[in-house]
Amino acid sequence: MSTAARFRSIEDTVRGTHGKPGPTYWVLLAVSAATFGFGAWAYSLIVRTGLHWTGLRRPGMWGNLITDFVFWVGIAHSGTLISAILFLFRARFRTAVYRVSEMMTVFAVLTAGLYPVLHLGRPWFAYWLFPYPNQRHLWVNFRSPLVWDVFAVSTYLTVSAIFLVVGMAPDFGSLRDRASGWRRRLYAIFSFVWRGTDEQWRHYTRAYLFFAAFATPLVVSVHSVVSWDFAVSILPGWHSTLFPPYFVAGAILSGVAMVITILVPLRRAFRLEALVTQRHVDMLVRLVQLTSAIITYSYATEILLVLPRPASDPERATFLYRMTGDYAPLFWLMVTCNCVGPVLLYFRRVRHSVAALLTICVAVNVGMWLERFNIIVTSLAHDRLPFDWRVYVPSWVEWAITVGAFGWFFMLFLIGLKIFPSVSISEMKEEVAREAAGEVSHAG
Amino acid sequence: MRAERGILAVFEEPGAAAEAIRMLRDRGIRDLHVGMPSPFPEVVAALSKPRSAIDYATLPGALLGLLIGILLPVLTSLSWPLVTGGKEIVSLPAFAVIFFEMTVLVGSLTNLVAVTVRSFLGGGGGAFPRDEAFNGDRLAVFAAGGGDEAEHVFRAAGAGEVRRVG
Repeated sequence: MSTAARFRSIEDTVRGTHGKPGPTYWVLLAVSAATFGFGAWAYSLIVRTGLHWTGLRRPGMWGNLITDFVFWVGIAHSGTLISAILFLFRARFRTAVYRVSEMMTVFAVLTAGLYPVLHLGRPWFAYWLFPYPNQRHLWVNFRSPLVWDVFAVSTYLTVSAIFLVVGMAPDFGSLRDRASGWRRRLYAIFSFVWRGTDEQWRHYTRAYLFFAAFATPLVVSVHSVVSWDFAVSILPGWHSTLFPPYFVAGAILSGVAMVITILVPLRRAFRLEALVTQRHVDMLVRLVQLTSAIITYSYATEILLVLPRPASDPERATFLYRMTGDYAPLFWLMVTCNCVGPVLLYFRRVRHSVAALLTICVAVNVGMWLERFNIIVTSLAHDRLPFDWRVYVPSWVEWAITVGAFGWFFMLFLIGLKIFPSVSISEMKEEVAREAAGEVSHAG
Repeated sequence: MRAERGILAVFEEPGAAAEAIRMLRDRGIRDLHVGMPSPFPEVVAALSKPRSAIDYATLPGALLGLLIGILLPVLTSLSWPLVTGGKEIVSLPAFAVIFFEMTVLVGSLTNLVAVTVRSFLGGGGGAFPRDEAFNGDRLAVFAAGGGDEAEHVFRAAGAGEVRRVG
């Protein structure tokens, strides 16, 4: 097949994902929208009558909602890792999978960004989190990690969204040229009059490099900042210097597991096997294995460092409570999902089985949600004051909001799939041309 | 605006286009422009154009962000000096996060403005014929002001289509 024919094939495959949706798509979209609607209605109860609908009582004033926030920020991580960091490292396997990861990142940050607002007693004052001139000269407290969060998450959302939209401009240019109706008008807007001239490419590739360079430290910083929400406090179980790398590795683990969870059914449903090959999935699996190993090491470090301490040590008491107390089943389920499950992926038969791979990746995400729950809830439930100890149990309203967030995320993702190119057309063409040049030089 | 006159050659293979560019440059024809669906390294190398000057916008933008990031927490903390958590009023380690985030945010936004002006919105079209777009399966080389010699080189390099423009 000639290079031009392979270029056409790439375009046709990606355009195929924008075809008329089938009944499965509509059912999934309806379920996602209904789930989101249910979550939104449950949240409206809190807005109308207060936080008493939650299970939040002293000392556990952070529960499901903050767990969800940390979970979704974590999910957002892999997109930028795959698109920016692997771009800087020239890891070619990213080409086929980074667009889906970037979309996931933006939608996950949009989901995470809701939670600081949802968690407020008076969400209509959410703008107080931002510094703005006011007649009383009151400013936000920049020494508070909660304000760092506002800056970190809003910067991450802005940069990720820019990175996604700018990265798609050449693809929108090629889709625009063969589209009609509303799609043509929409793609014309997002292609920014892209014509593919060498002058455009010259500036674009340089700018893209800078976006990647800006986004790379953001990957590390955002979840480090989220971890400092906990680590800068003096609560046993939270006050740890291990938290930033531990959180970043966990975020990448959950994010990549989510990419696989989405990508594997997607490549089958949209017949993307020619573009997203088994090798690409295998490389993502390696990332899961690596980050799972880091997480396992972090769990072991945390536990082994506190166990030799005296019995009166509050840190030791908190960790023993995590492992043997009221929440112990959740702790051990977390360890099984995050540490034992990914080990099975070392077996080729397991990682090449779609059912097994998806089960392990979904389990990793369950495990990573439980990890955040364990960190947040067990530490608060068992603090330094024994008279205050209390077991937190999420209310049905909190569960509805948790599930509703998944509905919101998947609803956005399903809509995005039908509008955005789910694989980078221009970069795939570059790969094809590179392969063709390699074949010619081999033949020569 | 008057269309640039010259020869436009359409290629199916990036390698052939790169070869044509090299041959033209060897013959002293250097006002060359390309339309291509991807920044093929061999074509970019053959063109030998200087690196984009976007750096000169992005770096000052990032430095401006750093300055804003420093001034915002420092000045607002001095404006309302409230001690919290036993920290200094101007607590630089705590403000480092804001310094970093503002550097990245303003740097990225400046980079966006720079790429929009220089590359998007038709700003980066150069002399390539304005009514031509090669985002699909082929690429085109345009020799501005090129005559019979350019046409001959294009055909020798294996261009699928060669035509006069303007």
